[in-house]
Amino acid sequence: MSQALAMDESERADSIRLIRESAAAVAPRGGDLRRIRALRFEEPGFDPAVWREMADLGWVGLRVPEEKGGAGLGMGAFCALAEELGAALVPEPLIPAALAAALLAADPAGEAALGQVLGGRLLLAGWQERADTLEAPGSLDAPRLFVPMAAGAEGFLVPVREGGRLTLRLLPREAADLAIDQTQDGGNYGTLRAAPDFTGGKLVAADLGGALDAALDEAALATSAYLLGAMEAAFAMTLAYLKTRQQFGRPIGSFQALQHRAADLKVQLSLTRASVEGAAAQLDAGLTGAARRAVVSRAKARAAEASMLVTRQAVQLHGGIGYTDEYDVGLYLRKAMVLANQFGSARLHRKRFMALSPEAVEE
Amino acid sequence: MSGNTQEDLNALDDEAFRRTVRAWVEANYPPELRNPPKRLHWAENSPWYFRLAEKGWLAPGWPKEFGGMGLSPAKQIILIEEYERHGVARTNDHGIVMVGPLLIQYGTKAQQERFLPPILRGEHIWCQGYSEPNSGSDLASLRTEAVLDGDEYVVNGQKTWTTLANDANWIFLLVRTDKAAKKQEGISFLLVPMDSPGITVRPIVNLDMHDEFCEVFFDNVRVPKDNLVGEPNKGWTMAKALLGFERIYLGSPRQSAYALVRLRLLAERMGVWEEPDFADRYARLRLDLEDLKALYETFVAQLRRGERLGPDVSMLKVIQSELFQRITEAMMDIAGENAGLLEPMGGNRDLHPSGLFINARPCTIYGGSSEIQRNILAKNVLELPG
Repeated sequence: MSQALAMDESERADSIRLIRESAAAVAPRGGDLRRIRALRFEEPGFDPAVWREMADLGWVGLRVPEEKGGAGLGMGAFCALAEELGAALVPEPLIPAALAAALLAADPAGEAALGQVLGGRLLLAGWQERADTLEAPGSLDAPRLFVPMAAGAEGFLVPVREGGRLTLRLLPREAADLAIDQTQDGGNYGTLRAAPDFTGGKLVAADLGGALDAALDEAALATSAYLLGAMEAAFAMTLAYLKTRQQFGRPIGSFQALQHRAADLKVQLSLTRASVEGAAAQLDAGLTGAARRAVVSRAKARAAEASMLVTRQAVQLHGGIGYTDEYDVGLYLRKAMVLANQFGSARLHRKRFMALSPEAVEE
Repeated sequence: MSGNTQEDLNALDDEAFRRTVRAWVEANYPPELRNPPKRLHWAENSPWYFRLAEKGWLAPGWPKEFGGMGLSPAKQIILIEEYERHGVARTNDHGIVMVGPLLIQYGTKAQQERFLPPILRGEHIWCQGYSEPNSGSDLASLRTEAVLDGDEYVVNGQKTWTTLANDANWIFLLVRTDKAAKKQEGISFLLVPMDSPGITVRPIVNLDMHDEFCEVFFDNVRVPKDNLVGEPNKGWTMAKALLGFERIYLGSPRQSAYALVRLRLLAERMGVWEEPDFADRYARLRLDLEDLKALYETFVAQLRRGERLGPDVSMLKVIQSELFQRITEAMMDIAGENAGLLEPMGGNRDLHPSGLFINARPCTIYGGSSEIQRNILAKNVLELPG
């Protein structure tokens, strides 16, 4: 790895600490989810005013190099931010918007649009042509599926295979043939249809090269960090409940069967944190190629599986109250149901990890 | 009215009985109500309730002199199997399943004459007031109290997880009538009209966004003392005696079998049906289902022989509810982004992984959680200390 790419360790630690502190602006610690509840199942699924605030804080361009108008921070900082947002179940679509910013930063032709995106114009990438994939064939006219929070998008970025290259086309919202499906967390997925194909959009990158693959990996890792934050918060709620809920004359957390279950969940949380933070550190240290993709897959496979386990068990350990919609713990389960498979399911990432890391385990 | 039909049914051999039930259900059950994704409200299931009532099939387990079918346990099981096979929804059946057997066993003649016919006519719709916010798994600690004041009990307290209380006009309650006694020995059974002054019902929306359960509040509700069933302070014993059939019903493989069919449809749609890792996982679930069916059959055979089920029936509910959950988890794992959709994929009700996944969540909580069922296995079957 090159020295130029590698970040200074103490600088990196500082940026992570600072971004966690600034996250409190929209992701207050302490678990008040009334704002999040009020936004569910109503389009666009998030608060445009909060979205602008997030853009003003410089978060959309957190990973965009400084010379392109971004903050030029590392994956460690991005993951720390995503984790804080996950703990508070913040619905504003930072991770998909950051993906769009990364694509626009890949080519000088995207400069004007990038400036708008960093300023809060919500453009979202419609790259996905089937479920559970990280590949973007760039078909001319295949519908683009599962665009997160598309109901609030002001435009779409569509990768298109043209003349052997993957170009990027910008489609304004008014020109888009868009269908919206609600998601279990109260947000939505958009399906974007071509009319008649996607080459009508403005060209904002003549050649994406490997930028899309790299940006999808960063989105997958940031999603892992978001899930980590969400499962930590669900686990904290559950632990508090185990200590206070009384049945049979004692706190239910005094029953050994439940203690062991809680301990198992803690193990999964620790594995997820080690995997996600380790991957972010390795990316910041300049890891590239197959090794980069492999650590991302490791983190996402773990985060997807562990977040579903922890949030399922959080409901179970709460008993009946956990199954009500008015009690908050279910909100974490519903979030995990949507994000566990976004930017690749555990199954996809396990397969990809093995394909990328065929060498035997070191003893 | 249909006495002859019922006698004929009892005289039939099992296979002939099964064919009769199947033909009638197929001809009479409203097709749009097959395998509903959510528990139906009275407004939806009452046409079927009245059709059963008209046929005289509403109360399979009640003796004939009370208007039931008087079916043997073996034939009742066949009836249930045929309903499950056809995807027949549960009705608001607490009157049939709980109140009827309670009054037939413990009620006075006056109570039987007053309460049983309105159940068979669909006039009294009952709900069950057992659980309380602080008494779930530890039900015997319940605190809703009934204090005798002249000829009336005065009830104060709160019930929760009261299934379909928003449809009901009567509730059967477990209430504390002796605070000084050991917790199981101060509980009584009380029958209360839902329109009594002082009762408030608040529906609870669940994770499936459905209001199947309610909270019911009692604020100085006055209930005639004649509405107490059996002896005062013997309610716990009666409630336990009523649980027998519910325990095998909750262990029935039907939910898992239904889900496994949908798992296959989803796997085919997602293009993973042929993949070796999925095939192995599916095989494991399929074998679990077949073995659950075999185990279920051994308990059914006990009922057929007229035996009482022992505490080991707890294992059925553990296996079935957890298998149902594992099948829906497999669905979520292969569905990709579709796992996050609120509605069925492409409007096809058979392809709704998130819906089934959420429906499977409470199965390990209600009717005795998996934790409680395992306690029963450890203490009452394995006789472990503690």
